[in-house]
Amino acid sequence: MTLLLIEQLLNGLQLGVMLFLMAAGLTLVFGVMGLINLAHGSLYMVGAFAAAWVAAQTGSYLLALVASLAAAAAAGVLIETLILRRLYARDHLDQVLATFALILIFSEGTRAVFGSFPLYLTIPPPLSGPVTLPGGIEYPLFRLVLIGAGLAVALGLWLLITRTRVGIRIQAGAADREMVSALGVDISRLYTLVFALGAALAGLSGALVGTLQSVEVGMGEPVLITAFVVIVIGGIGSVQGALVGAILVGLTQTLGAFLLPLASTRLTGAPDAGQVLASMLIYILMALVLIVRPQGLMGRPA
Amino acid sequence: MIPERVFNWAVWGGLLAFALLAEALGETYWLTLAARAAIFAIAGVGLNLALGNGGLISFGHAAFFGVGGYAVGILATHAQTYTPLFGLIEGTQSMPVTWSVAIVAGALAALVIGALSLRTSGAYFIMITLAFGQMFYYFAVTWSAYGGEDGMSIYVRGGFPGLNTLDPLHFFGLSFAVLTLVLLLVRMIDRSPFGLALNAVRQSPARVETVGISPRRLRLAAFVVSGAITALAGALFADLNRYVSPAMFSWTISGEIMIFVILGGVARLMGPVVGALVFVALEELLGGLSDYWHIWLGVLLLLIVLFARGGITGALTREARRG
Amino acid sequence: MADPVLSVTGLTKRFGAIEACSDVSLDLHAGEIHALIGPNGAGKSTLIAQIAGGLRPDAGSIRFLGRDVTALDTVARARLGLGRSFQVSAVVPDYSVVENVMLALHGRDRTAFRPFGHAFGKRALTEEARAHAARTHLSDRLNVPARSLAHGERRRLELAMALALRPRAFLLDEPMAGLGQEGAAELTALLSDLRDEAPILLVEHDMDAVFALADRISVLVYGRILATGTPDEIRADPQVRAAYLGDEVPA
Repeated sequence: MTLLLIEQLLNGLQLGVMLFLMAAGLTLVFGVMGLINLAHGSLYMVGAFAAAWVAAQTGSYLLALVASLAAAAAAGVLIETLILRRLYARDHLDQVLATFALILIFSEGTRAVFGSFPLYLTIPPPLSGPVTLPGGIEYPLFRLVLIGAGLAVALGLWLLITRTRVGIRIQAGAADREMVSALGVDISRLYTLVFALGAALAGLSGALVGTLQSVEVGMGEPVLITAFVVIVIGGIGSVQGALVGAILVGLTQTLGAFLLPLASTRLTGAPDAGQVLASMLIYILMALVLIVRPQGLMGRPA
Repeated sequence: MIPERVFNWAVWGGLLAFALLAEALGETYWLTLAARAAIFAIAGVGLNLALGNGGLISFGHAAFFGVGGYAVGILATHAQTYTPLFGLIEGTQSMPVTWSVAIVAGALAALVIGALSLRTSGAYFIMITLAFGQMFYYFAVTWSAYGGEDGMSIYVRGGFPGLNTLDPLHFFGLSFAVLTLVLLLVRMIDRSPFGLALNAVRQSPARVETVGISPRRLRLAAFVVSGAITALAGALFADLNRYVSPAMFSWTISGEIMIFVILGGVARLMGPVVGALVFVALEELLGGLSDYWHIWLGVLLLLIVLFARGGITGALTREARRG
Repeated sequence: MADPVLSVTGLTKRFGAIEACSDVSLDLHAGEIHALIGPNGAGKSTLIAQIAGGLRPDAGSIRFLGRDVTALDTVARARLGLGRSFQVSAVVPDYSVVENVMLALHGRDRTAFRPFGHAFGKRALTEEARAHAARTHLSDRLNVPARSLAHGERRRLELAMALALRPRAFLLDEPMAGLGQEGAAELTALLSDLRDEAPILLVEHDMDAVFALADRISVLVYGRILATGTPDEIRADPQVRAAYLGDEVPA
C-alpha cells in the first residue's frame, strides 16, 4: 500500500509538472497581454502531432521533441501576428470567440490532414522500462524523466524571468503594460516573443504527454480546461501560482482517483461513488479556493 | 435595411412557415431539423440573458443543457424500468413534469455555479464556468448508474397531454411554442425594472451599487434564470433524440450555444434564434459538402468577431440596440 | 445640538507605506453644507470612497443616522440613504436621461428585482423621474443617451440620480468639475436649496462655490484635517492660508 501510494504520488507530480507547462504559457499570455487564449490547447495538439510525424519520418525522439517546440512556436507566432494581436484591446468575449474559432480551425484542419485515428509516439528505448527507486519501488523511467524535464523547464523559466533583460521586461509588462511601452520597449515584438514561448511550452508538453498516451484531435481541450483550474487556484498572471496550482491539481487528481474508489469500496462495497467523487475533486478544490481566496493562492487581491 | 421589429417577426414566421411547408411536402426530416433549430434557439435565448443583458461570459452553459437532458433521461429510465427514484418517486415521461424538474434542476445548478463564479469577474469568470461545465461532464461519464459514458436511451418519447409527440409536426409545434413562450418571457424581463437594472449593471456596476442595488445579486438572478431556460432546452433535446449522453455536457456544446448568440447578434431578442437557424442550416449544407465543415464555421465566426460585431441581426437591421 | 447625521471618527487608511488618510474626524449636521477642500492628492477621494463604502478603512468608524455603518458595503449604505455623486461621471452610458433617473428610482423603491411589469409602467414614477430631471435643468434632454450629453449635463444627471434616491445625506464629489462659470452658478443655486432636504458633504475645488455655499469647511492636507470652521474662520486661519489657500481666498 505504501509503495503504491508513493507511486501514485510520483504520478501526481508528473501530471502536475506537465500541467505547469500548459498553465505557465496561459498565465504569462494573460498577465502580459491580457488575452484569454482558448486555442492554447490547440498548440498542445500541434506540438504532439508534429512530434509524432517527425518521429515517424526520422525515428529520432530528440528530433521529434525539437519539432514539437518549433511547430507549436511557429503556429503561435502565426496566429499571434495574424489574428490575436488585433484582440488585445478587445473585451474578453471577443477573445474567447476568436480563439474558440481557432480551435475549430486547428482541430478540423488536423483531422483533415492526419485523419481521425490516433497516432502513437513510442518511448525511446534508453528511456523505457522501469527503474528501481530507493525503497524498492519499480517506477517507469520515462515518467521520472518527465518530472525532471518539467522541473528543469520551471527552473529555466524562473531564471529567464528573474535574471534576463527580456524576462524583466516580461515581468514589467505583466505588471504595467503602458509603462513598458512608455519606456520604449518594442511592445509588439515582446508580445510575439511571450506568445511563442508559451506556445512552445504547450507544444512540448503535448509531445511528452502524447508519448505516454496517444496523439489525437481534441487531446488539447481537456488539458486546457484543467490548466484553467490550475490558474484559478494559483492566481491569474502568476507563474509561481501556476506551479503551486499545477502540483496541487496533479496530486489531488491522481491521489483522488486512487484513494477514493478504495475508500468507497470499503464503505459501500462498490467503487462507484468514489469514482464519481474523484472525477469532481479538482473542481471541488477550485470551489474551495474561490470561497476562501477568490483571487487565487498567489494572486494579488483585486 | 429593415426595422428590427419587422425582422424579428419575419424570423419567427419564417421558421413556422418552413415547418408547415415541410409538413405539406411530407418532408419529416426537415421538420426534425426545424425542431432542432427551435431547441437550440431556446438554449441560446437562455444564454443571451446572462451574456447579452448581464454581460456574463459563461462558457459553461452545457452544464445546464446537460442537466435538463439528464433530468428527462433519469426520469424516463425509472419509468421504463418501473423502479422508483431514490426508492420513493415514480419515474415519469409526462413532459409537463419532466420539464418542471429540468427547470428546477437547471436553476439549482446555476445557483451553485453562479454563486461561486460570481465571486470573481472577467477572465476568471470564463475559466471557472468552463471548468464547472467540465466537472459535470466527468460526473456524467463516471456515473455508471445512469449509463456512464454510454448515456441513456429513452425508448419512447415523453408525452404531452392532448398531443402525439411522436408526430414530427406535433413535436415541432411543442418546441416552437416553448420557444415563443421563452421569447415572451425574456422580452418581459428585458422591459421590466429588473431588465433596466441588469442592462445597467453590464455598463456601469459602480452606478448600480450607489443607487442601492447589488450588482452581484442582479447577476446571480439573471444567471439562474438563464440556466433554467437552457436546461429546458436540454430537456426538449433529450426527447428530440430519445437519447442523452455525457456529450450534452461537453465544452463544445457551451461553445456552440455561444455561437448561436454571436452569429445572430448579442443582446438582441431574436439574435439567438437567427443564430440557431443559421447554425443548423450550415450544419446541413456544409456538413453535406465536407466532413470538415467546422473549419468553415470557425472561419465565419472569426470574421464576425473581427469585422461584424452586431452579428447577422446587426447587419440586417438598422436600429441600434438600446442599453 | 442634535446628533449629527453623519459622523466620521479617527478614519485611517494606508496604502503600503503611504497614509492616505490619517485619523480623520468630521461630522455633518442636519441642514448644513459641509465642504471638504484640499489640494490634489490630499486624500479627498480616499476619504469619500471610505464614507461611501467602496474602500474599507484600516481604523476608525463611520456612523450614519445613529448607526455604525463601518462594516456595511456600498449597497447597504445607499439603501440607508446615502446619496452619492461621482467625481468622474458614472451614469449608464447607453441609457437616456430618464432611464438613468428611473434606475435610481427603482433602486430607491427596492423594485429593481421585479422581473415583470414595464420599468416605465407607473405614471407617478415616470412623472417623478421627469421632475428630478426638470430640477436639474434636463427637461429638454430626457431621451438623449447619457453618452451624448455635454459634460455639464452629465454632471447634472449625476445630481438628478442622487436626488431621485431621496437621500438622508448627499455625498457630492466635485459636482462643479468642468462646468463653465454659468453652469457653476446655476448649480450653486440648486445645491443651496438642497441643504434643507438633506445635508450635503461637498468635495469641491471651485472656491467661489465653496465659500458661497458652505456652512462649515474642513481643510484636508496630506490626509489630515488641518482645520474645520465657518468660512470666515477658515479664511482667517493663518495655518490654512499658509498651507493651502494662499491668495485664492475671496476677500
